[in-house]
Amino acid sequence: MGYQIKKAAIIGGGGTMGSLCGGIFASAGIPVIFFGLDNKEVEGGVERAVRQVRSDTIRDHIEKKTFEDMKEFLKDCDWVFEAVKEDLSLKKSMFEKIDEYRKKGSIVSTVSSGLSIENLAEERSEDFQRHFAGVHFYNPPGVLLANEIIYHKNAAEEVKNFIYEFCEKKLRRKNVITNDTPAFAGNRIGFQFLNEALIFAETHGLEKTDYLLGAHTGRAMPPLATVDLVGMDVHKAVVDNIYQLTNDRKHDTFKLPGFAQKMFEQNILGRKTKSGLFKRDTENKKFTLNLQNFKYEPHKKVKLDFVEKIKSFIREADYHLAADAIKNNVSEEAKIIRYFILNYISYSFSLIGEATPLEYGIDEIDKVMAHGFSWMPPSAWVDLFGGPKEVIAMMKNKNIDVPETLTSYKEDKICKIPSVTRYLIAK
Amino acid sequence: MKKRVYILGGFQTDFSRNWSKEGKSINALIKETVLETFEQTKINPEDIHSVHMANFAGELYNKQGHLGAFIQNAHSDLRGLPSMRHEAACASGSVAVLAARAEIEAGIYDTILVVGAELMKSVDSKTGGDYLGTAAWYEKEAEGIEYPFPKLFGKLGTVYQERYGLKYEHLAEISQKNYANAKRNENAQTREYFMSKDHACSLSKYNPEVGGIVRITDCSQVTDGAASVILASHEAASDWCKKNNIAFETLPFIEGWGHTTAPVLFDEKMEHSKDNEYVLPFTRKAVLDAYERAGIKGADDLDVIETHDCFTTSEYMAIEHIGITEPGKAWRAVEDKTIHFEGRLPVNPSGGLIGAGHPVGATGVRQILDAYKQVSGKAGGYQIKNAKRVLTLNMGGSATTNVVHIISREK
Repeated sequence: MGYQIKKAAIIGGGGTMGSLCGGIFASAGIPVIFFGLDNKEVEGGVERAVRQVRSDTIRDHIEKKTFEDMKEFLKDCDWVFEAVKEDLSLKKSMFEKIDEYRKKGSIVSTVSSGLSIENLAEERSEDFQRHFAGVHFYNPPGVLLANEIIYHKNAAEEVKNFIYEFCEKKLRRKNVITNDTPAFAGNRIGFQFLNEALIFAETHGLEKTDYLLGAHTGRAMPPLATVDLVGMDVHKAVVDNIYQLTNDRKHDTFKLPGFAQKMFEQNILGRKTKSGLFKRDTENKKFTLNLQNFKYEPHKKVKLDFVEKIKSFIREADYHLAADAIKNNVSEEAKIIRYFILNYISYSFSLIGEATPLEYGIDEIDKVMAHGFSWMPPSAWVDLFGGPKEVIAMMKNKNIDVPETLTSYKEDKICKIPSVTRYLIAK
Repeated sequence: MKKRVYILGGFQTDFSRNWSKEGKSINALIKETVLETFEQTKINPEDIHSVHMANFAGELYNKQGHLGAFIQNAHSDLRGLPSMRHEAACASGSVAVLAARAEIEAGIYDTILVVGAELMKSVDSKTGGDYLGTAAWYEKEAEGIEYPFPKLFGKLGTVYQERYGLKYEHLAEISQKNYANAKRNENAQTREYFMSKDHACSLSKYNPEVGGIVRITDCSQVTDGAASVILASHEAASDWCKKNNIAFETLPFIEGWGHTTAPVLFDEKMEHSKDNEYVLPFTRKAVLDAYERAGIKGADDLDVIETHDCFTTSEYMAIEHIGITEPGKAWRAVEDKTIHFEGRLPVNPSGGLIGAGHPVGATGVRQILDAYKQVSGKAGGYQIKNAKRVLTLNMGGSATTNVVHIISREK
């Protein structure tokens, strides 16, 4: 059958993710209903969607309803987009209601960033499962275009094709096909890096960690600043989930370090609580958390000649010189940068076939790291370091596992994403 | 008869990139562009005989002048070549192409690299707006005025209202069209921006008036970006075609050009044209000169137009000055969608300056590159079917410097 989305329902339209995702539907000209807790919450969601799109006109596309109204209005919707809190039992109870109220043949999706798609749709009707998928927009979806799609195993082929095409053409997402594995592809790789950076910071300090692994290593924001942005509560939920449900060779690096657990317990969560690993005072002065006594101290700037040299190479588009400096510098700090980048490449390639279907190679992982995290895609690092052969030699030298999937690449240039130099930042 | 000058290809950076945020210099922007140009065109740096650089205000935005010399930073084989930097405000890129073409026509050089670059996000928007004021007569038209250019092109809208009864909805339609076209172009700055006719017609904090009739949605973008083309003589183009197994008769060439300069002051332009059916007769003359040199009758002989829509009012003006409609009747081409992507004569399928972006010194080169892409079938998502002849109109200041090119292919 041919699918058409004349109206969409956003379940959780009052929340941050629901309202911003709903804004994407509305800005594509699709009438949407925001279902939320109460009028006030939904009203707030609409305003958030308006601010994201920067146009008052999308208000005309959004109807405001509460969860109680689902019984009456869900049947009018061709796509039910679930975006309530990342809580398995809450989502499952919501899907029970959705299954009851939705019209047959309507698409149902969850924006979950890592819960099992199969588990979420367990006990649901056959028609529900035939039309169900994970459609994981990244936050904020107005800026980050990555969209991990995880089809339910019973999803019909025509449903799969429709969802893919609709997200790409109508909602202008950068689709990434992933398997139904914990945290899918992007968060598994991204949070591995972030958590290992936290573990590293425990012995080397917060300032040095963020300095060494900063924007010049191919990311819009240093890792610990990213944790502050994401929030320690979310970070803990993601890594705990992966730690419990996976057992790969990086398993230990998903274990939350003690100080981070303590931060979580003391509600020192990051930007959302105005204090995290770092904080700023009213005059925008930066402070760093002392991990021993949990008091804030004035932020100390770290500066190393070879890192500054890398930045100056990037500033003048001498990317190969920057890569050579990372490859060849003999200092301990350079070894650390090399370790983290090579590990990022190694772990990414090792998940081909597990987190993403084998037939896509590294392409899907590249897309999600570029468009979901604004990080240099792993294969772009391979290209910049001189190709797979060169990188394999570097990995062996550093005792980092060489994934078989990397050895299967014979060409010198792998990355298909254009303008990847934008991810190398000289700041 | 003069020998033809051919276009072998070129490169455009992704105009959505913010090089200032990436912490990169204008040297980096030029370098990446030059190296990508060689990669894309399969031309070796040692085959280049001369380089031309277009840039409007590197001295202001980046505290860097002498940018002609910076091209050789990209590759050691470019050292020693003659280089020139060209500045004609927003028409800098086209003026660089004019100079490069003339060098080939005169038989001085055979293969020339032209690069246009501007890095504008290095300063806040008010400062940038003030710098752009130097493209007008700064002391008389821009000094102490916040955002002088939207006001100047807002005045153009006022003149059209007075002389021909311009309606705002037609400007909104042009804006909506160019944003929609940009969504087809993977290098366009606004490809992920929200736009609709309703939004363009709305007046709110998200779409305020910034100069008379001109609202935010009527303005082109502040852009970091660069573009390049390689021009070649008959002999050099022929050799390159043989080497790359390309049919020579399919190669785009410059069929015609026009170049005029109007009085700098906008009010003087209007005084001059008060009894003329064309609001900007010097722009019209550049168009007619190009038609004459190309040996074609007019707009009916064109397949695509890439015009200078620094504001919707300038595209509205261009519609009749290029001759798609009679003077005062541009609204007809907007209403009957002649200028839309599926229309008889699409204008700005790339998105133009409003949709694709406007790195000032690069724009003229970007237009020529897009014309090349259209006639050689390489425009990807914004390809106009069977495009064989494209006109570009590039203007500096308030339509002070006017440059028109006609890019064609034989078969």
